[in-house]
Amino acid sequence: MQHIDPEHHDGTSDATPGGASDQRRPGELVFAGLMLAVSLGLFWSAYGISGFEALSAPGSVPMATTVVMVLASLLVLLKTAKLPLDRSETLARDILPPAVVLFSLALAIYGILLKPLGFLPTSALFLILAIKFLARRGWVWTLTVSLGSLIVIWLIFRIVFSVLMPAGILPEAEFIQFFRDLFRAEGAQ
Amino acid sequence: MSAVMDFLTVFSQPQLLLLVGLGTFAGVYVGAIPGLSVTMAVSILISFTFSWDVYPAISLMIGIYMGGVYGGSRTAILLNIPGAPSAIATALDGYPMALRGEAGEAIGVTTVMSFIGGFIGIGVLALFAPLISDFALTFQPRDYMLLAILGILLVGSLSQGSLVKGIFAGALGIAIGAVGRDPLTFAERFTFDFQILEGGISFIAVMIGMFGVSEALAQLHHVDKDAVRQKISRIVPSLSTVKKHLPLSLQTSSIGVVIGALPGTGGDIAALMAYDHAKRVTKSPEREFGDGAMEGLVAPETANNAAVGGAFIPMMTLGIPGDAVTAIMIGALFIHGLNPGPMLMIDQPDMFWFIVGALVTANCFMLLFGLTGIKLFTRIVEMPRAVLIPLIMLLSIVGAYAVNNSISDVYWMLGFGVFGYFMRHYGYPLGPVILGVILSRLLDDNWRRAIISEREDLGRFFHGIVTSPLSLVLFAAVILIFVSQTPLWSEGKARVFGRKGEQQ
Repeated sequence: MQHIDPEHHDGTSDATPGGASDQRRPGELVFAGLMLAVSLGLFWSAYGISGFEALSAPGSVPMATTVVMVLASLLVLLKTAKLPLDRSETLARDILPPAVVLFSLALAIYGILLKPLGFLPTSALFLILAIKFLARRGWVWTLTVSLGSLIVIWLIFRIVFSVLMPAGILPEAEFIQFFRDLFRAEGAQ
Repeated sequence: MSAVMDFLTVFSQPQLLLLVGLGTFAGVYVGAIPGLSVTMAVSILISFTFSWDVYPAISLMIGIYMGGVYGGSRTAILLNIPGAPSAIATALDGYPMALRGEAGEAIGVTTVMSFIGGFIGIGVLALFAPLISDFALTFQPRDYMLLAILGILLVGSLSQGSLVKGIFAGALGIAIGAVGRDPLTFAERFTFDFQILEGGISFIAVMIGMFGVSEALAQLHHVDKDAVRQKISRIVPSLSTVKKHLPLSLQTSSIGVVIGALPGTGGDIAALMAYDHAKRVTKSPEREFGDGAMEGLVAPETANNAAVGGAFIPMMTLGIPGDAVTAIMIGALFIHGLNPGPMLMIDQPDMFWFIVGALVTANCFMLLFGLTGIKLFTRIVEMPRAVLIPLIMLLSIVGAYAVNNSISDVYWMLGFGVFGYFMRHYGYPLGPVILGVILSRLLDDNWRRAIISEREDLGRFFHGIVTSPLSLVLFAAVILIFVSQTPLWSEGKARVFGRKGEQQ
């Protein structure tokens, strides 16, 4: 099959997974080692479920799958170790640029703030900061785009999909009730 | 007769018709916008539609699926960026055509060919699924087990990546699916004595993380890319062009249906295989492949849409997903209390015929939206990634939270998002993980059923496999996948086919 290399080896598709086939990308060896360690840990845990009690025991399939994981990750590790390191790439530029680290952290913080602060304030904060950081445009544009899209998203969720998000500090329910009353009053007239 | 009525459900209820149309419309754009994928959209949609009835929810998803598989071709042709995985091969000849100023023609042909391919896929689904489900009633538990293993292995073996990494990803998925209390014995598995793990890891969190957040993080590499404008003229293709490529499109549609129907493999792999096939059978193309050959456009686009119908075959008849999107749809049916498999086909044939009807409708809408609205299209696709990426992340979080109203699901989702990001960069496929998670329960249950019925005797188990023709074929296929990856295979192939075999 013709080898097609989509942009930046980031493996958007199963047909063309990312990575480089003849070179080792920065950090790949560490990742492969980590996978082996995780597999060994999971195997140990699977052994603890029911040991070699019976073929139909609850731990049989977990043990079989983790053995497969250990073997597969060992093979990958050995193969990766043999490949020459790709010197044209660096970890900080091609694998884990600051933006990715920053956004992972921002998402984790979002998760922490979601319950106490509520969906609307947290999301507004996240969208404004993220869009400002990525687009580097004026505050007026940033605020319009981020708050505008947040309102659209919120309306779709609340009205079309009736998804309930944590309300937090904003009196969201009262707000909706106010509009409902308003429409009802108009309808009555 | 009732099958016809069920088939027409979509048309008789305006609400469903509207949802299919809306889904298809959204799907075309989801597919076209690089960074938004069908798998992502459908996995996020599960959590939003779980409070709906099952028909409207499935209508929307089917629309997005059909539209999305087609929509990827747009940006592949116009910008040389495949909007969806299934359009990777389309860019090879579509973009050169656009450079010559034939973007309109390329889009027109793509649309009509996707429509033809889509119909062939649906036709095969409607004809063969009922037959297969009758046959599936005779399947033994061990056959289900072998099919599940086969599905997980096939993705790795038919893709360009490494099979070992595919196997690792699949096994990891099965392990993730096993977390929590065992439903049969109530023993704790992989819970590490954490109470929070006893209920298992929400598969929706895994899906959204792997396909939503990891994609958004990967897209951070491409924030500064500018959108390119293209002038598009006439897009409805002439009848003679369509006629000329009809024979090829029939062949590549068949490839698409078969690859789609194989458990695990979907439109992206089908499109690449069809492109290869077209290159081999087209003796004298008007233009060279890679230089704007129309055949190079026809082949992948018929195949990926034909694979949609194909992917529903194992999903509806066996409960084994045909690709990542149908894996997510199985999850959606679970949530609605339905258990896809031969019994669903027999107990509730209305569900099957409804899905066929929705697919046909979506296919027609796809043709309609494909040949119109090109001006609106170029505008929406110009949406800057700087806005798109934060929005995907926000939607992913809301989606993960909404299913169980639980913050810990959000953390699982984020964790799998970051993990999936690394997996992508180091060449591990993500599809097998999702297949593993969805098939984990089926694999485990059927293994235990099979081995208990053989009185815990491995010898008798293998005797059963060898003496049943079906099990033997499945088992041989599993073995073949392994052998095909060893040096022994390429040596044998080289000997049989001579030098030609080596080039492939």
